[in-house]
Amino acid sequence: MPPLKSSKIQRWIDLLAALLRRRFPASFDELARDVPGYTAGQTPDARRRMFERDKDELRAFGVPIETIPSADGDAPGYRLKADAFYLPYLAVRSPTGSRSRKRDPYGYRSLPTLTFEPDELAAVADAAARVRQLGDPLLAEQAESAVRKLACDLAVDPAGDTRLLPASASPAPEVLVTLDRALQQRKRVTFRYRTMSSDSTGDRTVEPFGLFFLNQHWYLAARAPGEDLVKNFRLGRMAEVDLNQTRPGTPDYEIPAGFSLREHARSRQAWELGAGDAIEATVTFRARTGSAAAAYRLGEMVQGRPEQRRFRVRRADPFVRWLLSFGGDVVPIAPRELVDEYDGLVRETLAHHAAPPS
Amino acid sequence: MTAADQLRRILLLIPRLADGKPHSLEQVARLAGVDRATVLGDIESISERFEVPGGFVEGLQIFIEADDVSVVPNHFLRPMRLTRSELLALELGLSMLKGERPAEEHHAIDGAITRLRQAMARLPDQEIADDFRVASVSTSADLNHLRRLREAFRGRRKVRLTYRKPSEEESSTRVICPYGIVFAGGMWYAVAHCEGSAGMRIFRLDRVEDVETLDARFQSPRGFSLDSVLQGDKALHAPGAGTLRVRYSPRIARWIAEREGKPLDEDGSLVLEHALADPDWAVRHVLQYGPDIVVLDPPEVREAVRRRLEAMMP
Repeated sequence: MPPLKSSKIQRWIDLLAALLRRRFPASFDELARDVPGYTAGQTPDARRRMFERDKDELRAFGVPIETIPSADGDAPGYRLKADAFYLPYLAVRSPTGSRSRKRDPYGYRSLPTLTFEPDELAAVADAAARVRQLGDPLLAEQAESAVRKLACDLAVDPAGDTRLLPASASPAPEVLVTLDRALQQRKRVTFRYRTMSSDSTGDRTVEPFGLFFLNQHWYLAARAPGEDLVKNFRLGRMAEVDLNQTRPGTPDYEIPAGFSLREHARSRQAWELGAGDAIEATVTFRARTGSAAAAYRLGEMVQGRPEQRRFRVRRADPFVRWLLSFGGDVVPIAPRELVDEYDGLVRETLAHHAAPPS
Repeated sequence: MTAADQLRRILLLIPRLADGKPHSLEQVARLAGVDRATVLGDIESISERFEVPGGFVEGLQIFIEADDVSVVPNHFLRPMRLTRSELLALELGLSMLKGERPAEEHHAIDGAITRLRQAMARLPDQEIADDFRVASVSTSADLNHLRRLREAFRGRRKVRLTYRKPSEEESSTRVICPYGIVFAGGMWYAVAHCEGSAGMRIFRLDRVEDVETLDARFQSPRGFSLDSVLQGDKALHAPGAGTLRVRYSPRIARWIAEREGKPLDEDGSLVLEHALADPDWAVRHVLQYGPDIVVLDPPEVREAVRRRLEAMMP
């Protein structure tokens, strides 16, 4: 009789079924009797290694297989509890109570029922729709997969009332996929990067700390090997992104415990960026046009002077250019050097626009 | 395609097919979000064995006919719980919504996170570590205004909008029919039919001062699509607008070119045309670039910029 054909997916399904049909821990030898892939013409060591690999991969996939040590020194047992593996029954609360659909004919009645409030379910549907708009194929796939599971019991319909438009310079999907793998495995990446300030392109090697989507762009927060400063790289400016293939399975670096991607990725105005000390700039609002009113909300209150607002500025140039866009409705009054820079920019711009275009 | 991808689909499909009745392969493919060939490959991968046709695990039988598949399982009757990656993807979206929605909606978002975490597969006492991805959009708009406009859009209700134009000191009110709400270029916008001006208008939400939902309802025009007012995939275009033609200097042109997806000219500068619905917008747009922009057309905008700068001289 020829050996049974046994693909990995077949072994996985067999192993899961062998675990789920038991209420108590089972040893490898017991499980192997139900998994043809572990009995087909191999050495005992090879079968055991195959089982260990399968078990680890299923755990990495998210299957909560428990290892139960034996009390008498025998081989350990393995267990997969049905209620830890199967999705609870899902229901949504309605004015007449919650509706659950325990309709399968075979049982599984020990599974709990998880009841969503209607607005919670609506938020989940909208969240999945928002994730799909971010342009990351892995994220979209994970969100979609989650929604398909929930949709077994519930109608997960997004309101579709808002739309997020992607930036025109969106990263290629394969860039996001490679960086995602690098982060999962903590491997260094190399890429070509276009630096806009110097208009140059060069090679970079970095240790990725996280990916963040801010407004309409994806960024990689990463550190060069041996350096402390975490820099941001816009994914749309990357090319030839490669994962370090040496020593696969061994992390190249660790992300410091104190690093918070959420804090690092906090939205800031252009004049708030930079490593320099911040100065306090005071501006006065001479008009309350729609655009000036929106700018007013960005500043902090100046006691007793409602027409003034205070801003913390690290980079003067983008700040005075921003003020210039209000056409004199919003002007700086302190400190002196900032006022001088603004006045100089007004003079230079007028001289530029006074001449006919060439 | 990885074995994990296949496992994910198979564990999702079996409960949907578990009634023992035939299901069309087309329908099964739709459920799995893949094409017919992929789903056929998935099913065959768990049903083809030498000597053991049509099933292998106790009680699991799979029958494939020309266009139908039926499954009689004894396991996998429920989908698998959410994986950590699936949970984190939804949590990312929920965290974005939390930043976009007013505080009174946060309770539902937090509740959704709690519920989803209860649906995740994990070993006893296993912690859910933070993800390495975050996402947000700026929210200079009043979140309550955004919420009321969303609700009006969903209910197809008209809205009385109090709005202050960028160049005007006094706000004005108008009745609008919100056809859509869009985040683009770092701002939220309502795309709406304005009854007063009898045309399509675009309102930046950080300039909205009040939103009053009215009892009156509206119907979107037949065949209306937000895409008809979106220029490409990024900018908002007001129908009937003129054209502002400008040249950006080589000092700043590469940033603009990247943002707009346009190639630079040979000298490193960039000439662009913008929709021009509001001359005051054009003046402000030009001023923000200081001496790094030239107005090529129309001359009246060039003159307006010059006059405004003269008035700003210290």
